[in-house]
Amino acid sequence: MSLTATTPARNAAPPQRRGAPRRSRFGFHARMMAPGILLLAVLSLIPLFTVIAMSVSQVRLLGGVSFGFVGAENWARFLTDVDLALQWVRTLVFFVLTVGLEMLLGVGLALCLWKLLRGRNAVLGLLLLPMFVAPVIVGLLGRFLTDSTFGLYHWLLGLAGFEGDLLGGTYSAFAAVVLMDVWQWTPLITLIALAGLTSVPQSIREAAALDGASGWQALRSIILPSISGVLLVALLIRAMDAIRYFDIIAVTTNGGPADATKVVPIRLYETAFRFFDLGYAAVIGLVMLAVTVAIARAFVGILESKGLTR
Amino acid sequence: MTQRGVLDRRTLLRGAAGLAAFCGLNAASAACGGRKDAVRIATDDRWRQFAGTTLNFISENTAPTAAIAANLRPFTELTGINVNIVTLELTALVQKVALDLAGGESQYHVIYADPYQVLAPYSKGLVDLRELAADSSLPGLEGGFADFIPTQLDAAGRFGGGDEIFALPYDCPTMVWQYRADLFAKHHDRMADDLGFDPTPGAERTWEEYFRIARWFNDNTDDVAYGTGHQAKQHDSLQCDFSNVLWAFGGDYFDHGDRLGRYGTVEPGDCRLDTDPAIEAAQFYRRLLSIADPSSRTWDWNGLAPALTSGRIAMCPNWHEYAAGNEQAMPGKFGYAPLPRGTARSANIYGGTGIAINGNTLPNERRAAWLFVNWATAPRTQLANLASDAGGGTPTRESVYALPEVRAAEQRPSDLPNILTAPAVRKAWQPENIGLRPKIPMWNECDTAIYTQLSKMLAGDLSPADAMRETTARINRITDRGWSA
Repeated sequence: MSLTATTPARNAAPPQRRGAPRRSRFGFHARMMAPGILLLAVLSLIPLFTVIAMSVSQVRLLGGVSFGFVGAENWARFLTDVDLALQWVRTLVFFVLTVGLEMLLGVGLALCLWKLLRGRNAVLGLLLLPMFVAPVIVGLLGRFLTDSTFGLYHWLLGLAGFEGDLLGGTYSAFAAVVLMDVWQWTPLITLIALAGLTSVPQSIREAAALDGASGWQALRSIILPSISGVLLVALLIRAMDAIRYFDIIAVTTNGGPADATKVVPIRLYETAFRFFDLGYAAVIGLVMLAVTVAIARAFVGILESKGLTR
Repeated sequence: MTQRGVLDRRTLLRGAAGLAAFCGLNAASAACGGRKDAVRIATDDRWRQFAGTTLNFISENTAPTAAIAANLRPFTELTGINVNIVTLELTALVQKVALDLAGGESQYHVIYADPYQVLAPYSKGLVDLRELAADSSLPGLEGGFADFIPTQLDAAGRFGGGDEIFALPYDCPTMVWQYRADLFAKHHDRMADDLGFDPTPGAERTWEEYFRIARWFNDNTDDVAYGTGHQAKQHDSLQCDFSNVLWAFGGDYFDHGDRLGRYGTVEPGDCRLDTDPAIEAAQFYRRLLSIADPSSRTWDWNGLAPALTSGRIAMCPNWHEYAAGNEQAMPGKFGYAPLPRGTARSANIYGGTGIAINGNTLPNERRAAWLFVNWATAPRTQLANLASDAGGGTPTRESVYALPEVRAAEQRPSDLPNILTAPAVRKAWQPENIGLRPKIPMWNECDTAIYTQLSKMLAGDLSPADAMRETTARINRITDRGWSA
């Protein structure tokens, strides 16, 4: 059998059998994918383009939704909105605090659990409970527990000498909503980190111990690098959630007091569904989307550079 | 390969696609053009001509609607119409109504039309009820429109300069001075000696005296933790609480506040919160909150009410419909009075709402909806709601207040606890005492600007003068953008 093949001339038309049906422009695979692509278009692309159209329009509701083109008016307003700029700063502070605390506590708890030989599953089960509660319920729990008339935490803080109202002060309210989020989502980081820790090869750890590495050295040079990919995924998940944080603040402080907890998602909700200023809300939403995508891309880029996406 | 008599895959897929397309077209035609009107039955009974119809009523989760929901059977027996009641928090209600109107649908036939969040922005999407009231084929309005308390009919039912009536007054929460009558009686003489005036709450008291009474409770008794509490959370409630003081001191949000409050407009003109009376009111409000329960800054009206009933505070301004809850918690220990006077007047903010009919309804649906609106605001229904165990508000009709059993219930012991507030709210509803927010379509955004700046003022971030000037600038920016629904 010869291994030599002759290459057909590039411009030569393929021979067509007489009477054979003409080949369709879209092949079998494209036709099989078409329903899925159409569904995706309906669910994602049409809303996206609609929101983009809204961002350059004044949206009227009565008598059926109608868009009146206003050019870049909404975008110009966005660029000069000082309140929104402050809300972005607040959102970023919130983002850094929640994600940072969750990562620290989550990894710390995972390391403790990893060392726990007996009852690990029971402790892990208890630890995961907050994660299964709906965020709005976490908000309500937080509100009731810090209520100055009947709240348990308020009473405990009173015993410790804290006289004020936790949700009444600007700094304390911000700290309270950060801690509520940390309470709820630290277990997720713990779970992911623990999964990563259990996959660190025993042989490497034993080799490090034989070489005389201390606990801290082993943690810094062996364990953390081994689970860094898993931690990045955890960070990615939480980062994208934190930037869209809404429920707990909406239930507890509604953005107050004195706007201290008004983050961008609260402002977006307010603009869209309280003021029905849908054109401007579309601008805020699109910028939020862009920021979320940028954060996701940054993390995915890091993962790619580590060769962890293949 | 195809065998004779066996379906091949391609044929099967084609058949399935054809079936799906057929079903889709059917569903689309049913959704788009298949709306059917309610069936009208030939009968002499004007109440039963739409028997078998189902109506949807969307309402805020208020005590009056809880009472209506618990007391629907008489309506169903009278008309044969079934009513589904959807109760929601007000913000969620406004969203659903807006989307229903935007979609050209009438998923909700009867709408709880908050004057500021539904009526003002969407009055063009509501039915003018005068046409239905004048329709001889439908039952007329018992007592006519004139039986409704005039300020309430204007504030909750009208919008703009025309004569249209878009909603019938359905509930009428109004802020009054709620106080622990037992504590005022216990300490009356001592307080009078210390303060130098009769501390008994009433329209003749001033806000300055209110302040001094509150401070007296702070300093002189252990019966309560604080003299006064307020609903000063960064929320609509803060604007409501402050408005009482603002109007009392002669300030207002816009020029011609009375006309704006009763009839509303799309173009309110320049904001007037930067005037001296408004700044004076803000200064007083901040001073008042400095001696109030510190948790006031975390309470809306729902947080304030338990603070009073749990014995934490001695008095507060709150909606009069909380009286039933007060009486349940501590029977006989509460008193009610109009809010104190400022340098200009006593002002009691009105928070009432009407019920309206969706303008997208088909003719017979609209008539059936009118039967419900008519019944739900009828004197006998309002009387029944007053006695309801499920809650209930106070009537919006003059004739109900004139009934002997209602008059008798104004005095203790009373079977109708909400009506214990009647003497106070009757004074509060007088045109010179009622407090009406500007009925403008962009009120929601203005409201947010007001309570946000007030919250900053209470947190110490802004001085009262700066808070008022900043609010003025923001409101002017909002109103300058105009409104187009």
